[in-house]
Amino acid sequence: MEVLVLCAKTVLACVLIVAGSAKLADPASFATTVRLFIPFRAAWPLLSAIAIGVSLGELAVGLASLTIPAITALNALVFAITCAFVGVSALGYAFHRGRSCRCFGALSQRKFDAAGVLRSAVIAGIAAVALAHVGAAALQLDATARVLLIAAAGLLALAAFTAARVRGPGSEPEPKVVAQ
Amino acid sequence: MLLASSFVVVALVFCMATVLALFGVTHVSMSGAEAIERDGLAPGIHAPVWSLVDSTSKAVHSPPRTGLQLIMFTDHSLKAFPSVVDGLREVMARERLEIVVLTRRRNELAEPVLRLLGLDGIPVLTGSPSLYAAYNVRVTPFAIFVDSAGRVRASSLVNYDWQVTKLLQLADLPLESENLAPRGRFWRRTAGAGV
Repeated sequence: MEVLVLCAKTVLACVLIVAGSAKLADPASFATTVRLFIPFRAAWPLLSAIAIGVSLGELAVGLASLTIPAITALNALVFAITCAFVGVSALGYAFHRGRSCRCFGALSQRKFDAAGVLRSAVIAGIAAVALAHVGAAALQLDATARVLLIAAAGLLALAAFTAARVRGPGSEPEPKVVAQ
Repeated sequence: MLLASSFVVVALVFCMATVLALFGVTHVSMSGAEAIERDGLAPGIHAPVWSLVDSTSKAVHSPPRTGLQLIMFTDHSLKAFPSVVDGLREVMARERLEIVVLTRRRNELAEPVLRLLGLDGIPVLTGSPSLYAAYNVRVTPFAIFVDSAGRVRASSLVNYDWQVTKLLQLADLPLESENLAPRGRFWRRTAGAGV
């Protein structure tokens, strides 16, 4: 059971690192999604700041969850974040159906749809599993292990950032040229 | 201790698997027809600013001072695309449209061949691989329309005349506000008009 919980914790950390890094590679694109959820007409710098803040937050929580697993409060924070994902997906499905969610920056072309709400719920479910108690011994890391995890997390963040940059911003599909 | 080691192993395995998955996804996205559809720049993006001199020592600027500018990314190989040449001839008559041919590198054959094809009056400019990269253009012939504000209005690979004229129609459409990105950085990708 403990291994299952640790797997859930690791998966969520990876998801957050990838999502945060990918969004950081393309904050302007994610800012357009942020704009969908701001009830007032916000200036572009504010939208960009929110987009970058959200991305950095995801990345920081993911990195911390992976490299400092002993802080159990992070599990609750991750669960709260995943619940926020469910809320955003549901709101997006209700009010902005079919628009790009840019949840993973340019890495994914997912849109606000029912499947997206389901995916978010599954992620929240995994986060709930990660909330389960794990013996302190299972979360103790020696210096070598911590360095290894930091290196792996850094590599993962770099890979996600680079992949998102290569794929470019996930903009809305434009009308295609059709045969006459 | 065993569980602690398990956590490290599981975490490392997940990280490496995710890195490999990212590599695979990126590799797939960079190859094939789907990738070519994403070449060019998305409408609303600020296009690179440049000034180049043609064979008559006349300076050509991008963005144009007025109207639209059609930048054709091609060289003498355009002779293999007679339909595109027809399309260019068709839009040449359009007012307030400046057409320029931008080659990837110096090509002695480019201008004579293009003149032979009847594309007189179109400046042939020697660009560079980095300029092509700035426009996110890998394959030719590729067409990008830029307005006088320096924003991309339409971009796509073109193989037929109707594609050139259709792109011109798309270029005339007003830009959606959502596509207007702030000036300051260049995005490599377009959701562009796949042809």
